[in-house]
Amino acid sequence: MSTLDASTIKKVIVACDAGMGSSVMLAGQLSSALAPYSVKVQHAPVNQIPDDADVVLCQQGLVARAKAVKPDKPVLGFTMFLGDPVFDKLQKAIRDGGDLEY
Amino acid sequence: MTLSTDTLSAEAIRLGATAKDRAEAIEQCGRLLVDLGAVEEPYVAAMHEREKAVSTFVGEGVAIPHGTNEARQYVKRTQLAVVQYPDGIDWGAGTVHLCVAIAASGEEHVEVLAALSKVLMDEQKAAALRTATDAATVLSLLGNDQQEAHA
Repeated sequence: MSTLDASTIKKVIVACDAGMGSSVMLAGQLSSALAPYSVKVQHAPVNQIPDDADVVLCQQGLVARAKAVKPDKPVLGFTMFLGDPVFDKLQKAIRDGGDLEY
Repeated sequence: MTLSTDTLSAEAIRLGATAKDRAEAIEQCGRLLVDLGAVEEPYVAAMHEREKAVSTFVGEGVAIPHGTNEARQYVKRTQLAVVQYPDGIDWGAGTVHLCVAIAASGEEHVEVLAALSKVLMDEQKAAALRTATDAATVLSLLGNDQQEAHA
């Protein structure tokens, strides 16, 4: 388990295989949730995660691929699109400025 | 009034469909995208492949079948299609009553998917989408009204 100082998070990338469906939907949801904290949320194919991503979110089944592409980035896996606890965890850490475990 | 957005139109909406399983539903979604002239044939196989790799079930009875990154070459234009299954289909993680099939070459569909995600976070709107009996209802839930208001 590593930790990241959540106050340093400026950009969250939602990655999926094709970058055309799942990640687009989730990025839309999260960007409204995180906008008050000046955190940008963008979507990308898992093979094209941008270098300036502070945190990467992707479906659990893609976590290994995301980590292989960006070994130095915190990668959080989720299993549900609506209401997965990891979204709350991320939002709370960003809001409260605490440590984010990953 | 034209019932269409840039990426979703009434002719891309099929209500009251039936399919025996997830694979048949994916096939129907893919076939519709082919018939609409949005994708070339190999995209349909990529939709099956993507579904096997990671489910496109997003919750609230909705799945968003689409192809793989490699299959983007078969997308002729960005297009969404909606196929509704009133009897429901076993999608593994849950029962699906509505598929929003996606073919994307660019970002033109992002607004409609953002509208979809907002609808799914509102239980009443999500139910209205799953049980819609005309294309106009689907289009208005997925943002057509707002776009017309801006026009």
